[in-house]
Amino acid sequence: MLRLPVVSRSLFPATLIKGGAAATNNARTAATATAAASNLLEVFVDGNPIMVEPGTTVLQACEKVGMQIPRFCYHERLSVAGNCRMCLVEIEKVPKPVAACAMPVMKGWNILTNSDKTRRAREGVMEFLLANHPLDCPICDQGGECDLQDQSMQFGSDRSRFTEGKRAVEDKNIGPLIKTIMTRCIQCTRCVRFASEIAGVEDLGTTGRGNDLQIGTYVEKMFMSELSGNVIDICPVGALTSKPYAFTARPWETRKTESIDVLDAVGSNIVVTTRGGEVMRILPRLNEDVNEEWISDKTRFAYDGLKRQRLTQPMVKDESGQLVPTTWEDVLTRAAGALQGVEGNDVAAIVGGLVDAEALISLKDLLNHLNSENLCTEEVFPMAGAGSDLRSNYLLNTGIAGIEEADLLLLVGTNPRYEAPLFNARIRKGWLHNELQVALLGKEVDLSYTYDHLGESAKVLQEIASGTHPFSKVLAEAKHPVVVVGSSCLQKEDGAAIMAAVSTIAQNARVSSGAEETWKVLNVLHRVASQVAALDLGYKPGVETIRNNPPKVLFLLGADAGCITRQDLPKDSFIIYQGHHGDVGAPMADILLPGAAYTEKCSTYVNTEGRAQQTKVAVTAPGMAREDWKIIRAISELVGVTLPYDTLDEVRERLAEVSPNLVRYDDVEEANYFKQAHELSKAVDQAVLTGPLAPPQLTVKDFYMTDPISRASQTMAKCVKAVTEGAQAVEEPLIC
Amino acid sequence: MAEYANVVRRALGQLGGHGGVRGFFVQLFRVNDIKTGALVGVDKYGNKYFEDSKYFFGRHRWVIYTTEMNGKNTMWEVDGSMVPAEWHRWLHCMGDEPPTTHPPEPKKFLAEVHQFNVSGSSQQYVPFSTTSKKIHEWVPPRAQ
Repeated sequence: MLRLPVVSRSLFPATLIKGGAAATNNARTAATATAAASNLLEVFVDGNPIMVEPGTTVLQACEKVGMQIPRFCYHERLSVAGNCRMCLVEIEKVPKPVAACAMPVMKGWNILTNSDKTRRAREGVMEFLLANHPLDCPICDQGGECDLQDQSMQFGSDRSRFTEGKRAVEDKNIGPLIKTIMTRCIQCTRCVRFASEIAGVEDLGTTGRGNDLQIGTYVEKMFMSELSGNVIDICPVGALTSKPYAFTARPWETRKTESIDVLDAVGSNIVVTTRGGEVMRILPRLNEDVNEEWISDKTRFAYDGLKRQRLTQPMVKDESGQLVPTTWEDVLTRAAGALQGVEGNDVAAIVGGLVDAEALISLKDLLNHLNSENLCTEEVFPMAGAGSDLRSNYLLNTGIAGIEEADLLLLVGTNPRYEAPLFNARIRKGWLHNELQVALLGKEVDLSYTYDHLGESAKVLQEIASGTHPFSKVLAEAKHPVVVVGSSCLQKEDGAAIMAAVSTIAQNARVSSGAEETWKVLNVLHRVASQVAALDLGYKPGVETIRNNPPKVLFLLGADAGCITRQDLPKDSFIIYQGHHGDVGAPMADILLPGAAYTEKCSTYVNTEGRAQQTKVAVTAPGMAREDWKIIRAISELVGVTLPYDTLDEVRERLAEVSPNLVRYDDVEEANYFKQAHELSKAVDQAVLTGPLAPPQLTVKDFYMTDPISRASQTMAKCVKAVTEGAQAVEEPLIC
Repeated sequence: MAEYANVVRRALGQLGGHGGVRGFFVQLFRVNDIKTGALVGVDKYGNKYFEDSKYFFGRHRWVIYTTEMNGKNTMWEVDGSMVPAEWHRWLHCMGDEPPTTHPPEPKKFLAEVHQFNVSGSSQQYVPFSTTSKKIHEWVPPRAQ
């Protein structure tokens, strides 16, 4: 969804109302849903009768019939403030105009949305708002997508009576991501409510009253939240704009491509805005099941990493060991020559966290043709017990949206706030509106909501599993329990034991809860976008097999976590690296094959809940870089084991052959067999380590740079600097 | 009648005036023309300059380039810049005095030795770009 300008809303009112109204008061509607059917109220909007539930506001009732009321402070996902007064409407036989966003309807009311009085009220409010709003639209970054601009054209007066001076407010430095021009602020307090309700940080607030009211952080400090970029979207005017995007493009000159984010395992829906073959910015797209309408700061601001440290031409190591640019013909024949001589255990592949399913299947087919099964992911997942054989064992089965219905959540060795910020926002939503009780086992971290800390060691996990821990009782009483284990705590040697214990806890909780059959308890929260697709396709998690029998030829597909280094391999081994960034994997390669990043290819990614989604081509890959599956297909032809697909559709047919869920886009395939997985996990005979379960991302400074793209991003580097040394430490161009 | 005889004579002169059949075809393929004229002079590189004022103005002076110049084979790859400055003015009809009879006064800005045009080659001049790159490529670390 773009910036929700009123105009676009009025164009597609029906779809928005459905999603919006349902999401706003899910807690309230859940309570009243049963009773509501009988005691609906009849109200009239401009004379048209409509039945609404009691407690519905005038604004929601109007939206139900497709009538848009202008508003600034009201937002579907935030609490009602009612301070902008733009939504004033006349109601028949009511003496004064009422604020539609805050007034519940009463029986028989006739709401007049276009009466003379309503229009005069709007015009007056608009006049007051503009009294203190600078007329700098031509140099304002919000220009073209500004609610105030749109609504002043639609509802404002056509002439000015204003002769006085305007108020001016000092700009605040709230970090390297958000640019503030506080003179433009109309004090709708959406950002304040977003920060305290959705993001869960009390950083923003108001000081002063009346004409002196100011939004700010009270003292000069950074707005430190992993969701901070969303205030740019919800700001109806140009007071909060994007610093990296400042003065770079106008909304009407850009092309928008609907895509998927791959920098975490949530798979947020995004719009990639491009101009002239360059990504200008990334905005969220509405998807109620995944990211609602928010995205994390890494998703939004790491796009400048797509323009730096890119592999743009094929390279090969010369005699002196220096990588030198060469042609595709040369590298493909060299790669094919290296692969031709090897078979079985002599060849292996490691895939990284940003690889798409198409590339995964082509690489797997290629190596399987060479009689090799050594295809590994960098991310470890314990294979003892059910391992990746049962799909339910490695998915976030409850679903991201499913968390809202839970009443008890046990987080094991994870910090969802930085590993999956939007999943954390869902947990916070449940905690806020649905009285979700959260318990955390692992390193104590700030999750933006309160939780019971059960301890740091995995020993506690086994106590809970065996029923000796007091928390077992709490778990047994829960009606809709959820257990989420972070993939980071499964990386160590005792991963299988932790997974077995979690499986036991989940199964016990499942039985004791008496929840309906469809309710799922066991969840694994992954950290990288490729992991679920890789496990679906039969990749082996972890590089242990490669370390144990080092191959002669190693194919690295976007493997940048540094799991295997040159030292782990024999001297004469040959490394082929295919990827889009020169990060950890590229320098040790003998051959470099430049691939495409996620904005440059149409490809499939499966998020942590098992939802297959596709990215779309927003820009072409830079230089000589090509789509990953095409490179592997070309190599296979030269090796002599031509893969049987030439087009993307044929690759996807192959994907469907292996795992049909990978091509059922935007759909979550049900995964089951929890009981069987639990039975299998009983066979795991492994002791847990005593060390604390500490996820690698503990504080906000660990959040920004986790993958090749965000590590190449200067904006993300600035964020790290700002959170460690303060916002003042980051130098900004004077024009900002 | 005499006119027609003259035309035939000139035609025969053009066909036979290049040194046999081979010379005729070489001339035809190199110059795309087989006209003959009076040799006005030869410059220091071996380019030959001809004139035949019977042709229309603009086509009446021409050059047959040398086949080897400054170590470069110029049999088929010829370049307009191969004409030195002193012959350039005669060839382009800036004056009627060829440098053979009227040696030009020496100027120090004139090139002593001809330099070939490097456009299209790897040595060509590329102006410094003032716009920032859209994509910054990765530079591999130097091998130890």
